Amino acid sequence: MTTATRTLSNQTSRWRGRWWVNALFGLFALVFGWFLLNVIIGGQCDAKCVEGTLSQTLRVATPIAFAALCGLICERSGIVNIGIEGQMLMAAMVCYGVNLFSFQAMQGPLGPETAGQVSRWLAMGAGMLGALALGMLHSVVSIKFKTDQIISGTVVNMLSLGITGYMYRQFLAENIPAGPGTFPTMPIPGLSQIPIIGSVLFQQKPLVYIMLIVVIVAQFSLFYTRWGLRTRAVGEHPRAADTLGVNVYRTRYTAVWIGSLIAGLGGAWFTLEAVDVFNPGMTNGLGFIGLAAMIFGKWMPFGALLGALIFGLGSSVTTTISIFRPDIPSQIPQMLPYILTMAVLAGVMGRATPPAADGQPYEK
Amino acid sequence: MANAVTTSGSEDSPQKSRLQGLGQMFGLPLLALFTAFLFGALLIWITSGSLNTVFEAYRGLIRGAFFKERGLSETLVATIPYVFLALGVAVGFKSGLFNIGVEGQFYIGAVSAAWVGQLTNSLPAFIHLPLALAAGALGGAVWAAIPGYLKAKTGAHEVINTIMMNYIAFRLTELLISGPLRDPNASAVQTSRVSPNAELWTLYAIPERLQNPLNALLAAVALGVSAWFITHLIVRSRPGGTDTTRRGLRSPQTLPWIIGGVVALLTFFLLPPLTQAWWPFQDPYDRLHIGLFMAVMTAIGVWWLLQQTTLGFSLRTVGANPSAAKYAGINISRNIVTAMAISGALAGLAGTIEVLGVSICRCLPLFFSSGYGFDSIAIALLGKNNPFGILISAFLFGAMRNGADTMELYSGVSKYVITIIQALVLLFVAAPPIIRWMYRIKPPEDAAAEAPLTRGWGG
Repeated sequence: MTTATRTLSNQTSRWRGRWWVNALFGLFALVFGWFLLNVIIGGQCDAKCVEGTLSQTLRVATPIAFAALCGLICERSGIVNIGIEGQMLMAAMVCYGVNLFSFQAMQGPLGPETAGQVSRWLAMGAGMLGALALGMLHSVVSIKFKTDQIISGTVVNMLSLGITGYMYRQFLAENIPAGPGTFPTMPIPGLSQIPIIGSVLFQQKPLVYIMLIVVIVAQFSLFYTRWGLRTRAVGEHPRAADTLGVNVYRTRYTAVWIGSLIAGLGGAWFTLEAVDVFNPGMTNGLGFIGLAAMIFGKWMPFGALLGALIFGLGSSVTTTISIFRPDIPSQIPQMLPYILTMAVLAGVMGRATPPAADGQPYEK
Repeated sequence: MANAVTTSGSEDSPQKSRLQGLGQMFGLPLLALFTAFLFGALLIWITSGSLNTVFEAYRGLIRGAFFKERGLSETLVATIPYVFLALGVAVGFKSGLFNIGVEGQFYIGAVSAAWVGQLTNSLPAFIHLPLALAAGALGGAVWAAIPGYLKAKTGAHEVINTIMMNYIAFRLTELLISGPLRDPNASAVQTSRVSPNAELWTLYAIPERLQNPLNALLAAVALGVSAWFITHLIVRSRPGGTDTTRRGLRSPQTLPWIIGGVVALLTFFLLPPLTQAWWPFQDPYDRLHIGLFMAVMTAIGVWWLLQQTTLGFSLRTVGANPSAAKYAGINISRNIVTAMAISGALAGLAGTIEVLGVSICRCLPLFFSSGYGFDSIAIALLGKNNPFGILISAFLFGAMRNGADTMELYSGVSKYVITIIQALVLLFVAAPPIIRWMYRIKPPEDAAAEAPLTRGWGG
């Protein structure tokens, strides 16, 4: 779209871009989607089904939102990170392994109940460190050695596929001890009693709450703190930031490492919240969907969360459909989130502007 | 682009520059390989706790790749799809696109070829085999052109879109194999066996195949055209090769036709009785097939396309500097779609070959997994996106892939270690400064020519 047409469309459509117009559209789309869902499954989606679908939406959106936040913080500082998929996979593997073996070690002295709690939180920390290790590699390769960041991200993905697969085959595939399992649901007292909203928002497992908190913290710190201002400046115009005394390299390292820790949380979701097994390649492209959510959200944490929720909704609706309509081949609904991602990217891309220095190595 | 800079920059001392060129061409990739294997050894040593396992693993790897029964031929069988896929990736890179979705295009190519291959048993190979190959290539091309179109029209980055298309391709092939294309007579979920006429000939079967005159005709046309093409390239590269005023039998215009014609005639009349009398490939279980020949010819063809044609020039220009290309009047959108389509067609051909030449059932089974996708990116970069470099690096990766099973069998080391080594190769090849930093090598003067290969979201 050229500048002229863009100005023209801005003048003609007064309503476009207003938040409440968008919200209205969203609400309308939701209601319409619910009707459509009823048509597909034959009028069976009652309040309980809606509640289940929405709560599933939030659950599935969690890793996508973590991935999107990781990508967002990295890219706000000017580093493209497509290795999130690999970082999450690594974190998932580390979480699974640490959860198993630390439980094994602590079960005796602490008793199964406490040992389970401790080992799960310990595993989450270890998983974050696992993702951080890959993030450090990515940051050094792309900041110090100024390599193409897309290729560096591909290396991270491949390396993670290899390492997790190797570790799985050597240590986690056979003769594994019984583990403590995934996090139990943590209903928030009081709030979880509210009808519908309570069960959707406040009867979740801990990572969902952590995700919501991280989104708010990220939004606040990116736009209202000194660190956020510096990070954004480095991503938009590193030369100017450097002139004003901001250490470009250090800022970028920090951003990538913080992002990696967040990606680690996303990885922890797979083996500490979703299922109690690890499979090679179990992240299934959710890291990339996270990047699409980030672009959809125009590099803003709240927007990224919205994007993640849309993908989560797409995925949980397909689950609902496949429960009610087993006659539809499962592959068709399974394709949906990916098609949705592409459609959203195609629709939003032209209107969303990435940070100006995104993906460009900085030469001092 | 990097090559052009190197050659033009050091024309004053040809002897020295050739040596330097060789060193630059092979030195870093070899060091990268060596270092990657060193890290792999370290990993095996740490996790297994014994140095002996390292030696056993690598011995098993080499043994499986070259020295066990049919080892070398299985390595070549694995090399063939790698060549096609890596060529596809390289065409993308040369045009400034990162086609990370070759895996999906591979699947779509495979399923298209499986569909066309099993349609009928009555077509002669002369028509059916080229048709199946074309179907596979077309399938891959369409699949890759979609992200290309989206990139050209909306700016949606091809990395995300091709990966999304990968997952869609996996589900779609699953759907097609278990639904409309399922072989009703087989107990396993798979497509019907392709017609024997659509199969790629194994080297073992060539004498028998050539007894059919139509098959001999197909071979004659294929070899004749290849001979014409290669002569054409050689003649053109010699001094006076583009001189259109010369006449006579040895003139640049006529020589390719003469040689091509002679090769075709010889193939048609002499090859069938000759192969009947003597043929080196006598092992019926040897899976090596004529795809090897196709792979080499395709590599030459891709080199020709990129380096000798107008289309190749505009693709490379768009890849090197889109602003300059736009200023020069090159249609960038069309170039992006074309580049993706060519890239996808090559990847689709790889899938086609997997179905028509490699799979035991000559069909596409459910949950068939190639795992070629990421490897081919590393192969393309290891070969520096040069078709002939790709032939070498594909052979290397084919050897690793083929040897991995034997390694796992002999030493108990999981074959995922190969993936790790390949990732490290990619890392070291894509980031020469790391290798230079490790070995304290001084950077060459034109280090800036190692420009970034891809572009961010904005591009």
